[in-house]
Amino acid sequence: MSTTTSQLLSTPLHQQHIDLGGKIVPFAGWSMPVDYGSILNEAKAVREGSGVFDVSHMARFVFRGEDVANKLDYALGGCITDQLVGVARYTMLLQDDAGILDDLLTYRLADDEFMLVVNASNRDRDWDLLTERLNGVECSDLTEDGGGILALQGPESLNVLRQLSGDDNFAPAFLGLGEIETDFGTLFFARTGYTGEHGYELFPSAEQIVPLWMALMSLDVTPVGLGSRDILRLEAALPLYGHEIHESITPFDAGLRFGVRGWKTRDFIGGDALRALPEPDKHLIGFTCEKRIPREGYNVLCDGEIVGTICSGAMSVALGKPIATAYVPKNVDGEFSIDFRGKPHAANCVDLPFVPHRSRD
Amino acid sequence: MRPNDRSYLDSHEWAKIDGNIVTVGISDFAVEQLGELVYLDLPEAGATFIAGEAFGEVESVKAVSDLNCPVVGEVLEVNSGLCDNLEDLQNNPFESGWLMKVKIEGDNLDGMLDLAAYEELVSSQS
Repeated sequence: MSTTTSQLLSTPLHQQHIDLGGKIVPFAGWSMPVDYGSILNEAKAVREGSGVFDVSHMARFVFRGEDVANKLDYALGGCITDQLVGVARYTMLLQDDAGILDDLLTYRLADDEFMLVVNASNRDRDWDLLTERLNGVECSDLTEDGGGILALQGPESLNVLRQLSGDDNFAPAFLGLGEIETDFGTLFFARTGYTGEHGYELFPSAEQIVPLWMALMSLDVTPVGLGSRDILRLEAALPLYGHEIHESITPFDAGLRFGVRGWKTRDFIGGDALRALPEPDKHLIGFTCEKRIPREGYNVLCDGEIVGTICSGAMSVALGKPIATAYVPKNVDGEFSIDFRGKPHAANCVDLPFVPHRSRD
Repeated sequence: MRPNDRSYLDSHEWAKIDGNIVTVGISDFAVEQLGELVYLDLPEAGATFIAGEAFGEVESVKAVSDLNCPVVGEVLEVNSGLCDNLEDLQNNPFESGWLMKVKIEGDNLDGMLDLAAYEELVSSQS
């Protein structure tokens, strides 16, 4: 995928984003709205009410075939064979050495059919690897089929879906998949998200995506850009590929054991390496600081010695101060500071997540 | 409207000359591109800079950016109250949101853009 401006892909809602005053930036080969005027207010709307993100840049793959669950179980880090139909699950795509190539959600649509949603930046590599690892399975990349993904997130999101469907008893389970009847047909959704809030990811078809977006706008759902998405996911300490997770980090380093269920006994790519790994000597920790936002790559110091580098930093709307993550050796203890371009400032080590998850509420 | 009484750098600082005193700030376009501001670092009076040297930093929710000195000279005064009143920089970048006043030797705004050239640059970047 090219990153030159002329060849950027755009989602089916590109015109809607422009009409709403969205600031459009290149992101992973796509033209995407980073904000619609205020990153901070958009993040607040998701914590307090409801917001919707167009995340149609994320890649949607569908795999179908008789033995698809077993083959996915081998191809991915997580256990897939015991995943129930109608449920989503978080897992990772691993290298042979258990380094993380990507993280993703698997949605079991039927006994013999799964949808995977992977990061836009890894679409080509994931596709090549998965189609190779899933030899004999029917593979489709639906990312550019004209439909998309809208993430409806926030404590009011359930009410919004109830209004869309006219069903006041609608109450899907966390990680559950389902369908609602709307004015524009049957809409497929999952109770998943990337904010730590109660929320849903809606999968409109090409015909549904514009009317769905307009319906959400008329229900006063706040349009939210990728800038806020990064704040919200970091507040919830949800990892981002290229930051907290990448090829040199294992699921154990990242504290993502739940994403490799059954790792002790299952046969899967990266499994042998995971079983041979010693206990990690580093761990991901959280920092808060004052005024200045730690940025990726800034050095973290403990008693003046460099002990790590910042993975992600953002202005937390919930805490009203900057937050950041970094891997540091487990045995490090002392006064932490962060080097802001040559100027060290004190940082407080805090427990992750910065903001408690309410996604199961 | 963008004022016509000063010169601009392609990194979006402006410089307004009055005798041997140059007032330095950043443009509305710079402020708009940065988005919501969180931090501003300005030098002390008495510091000296050469043209193109970073004299401070401005940081927003999205990014941190060096402030580039458009001229050679010594800092006479900084708008230090601005560091605790970033709204003023956000809302009035050409007036009360000025950053510093620099004493220069002679007229050395050569190489900066006039308003027309700056407007052309901005439209190519928006």
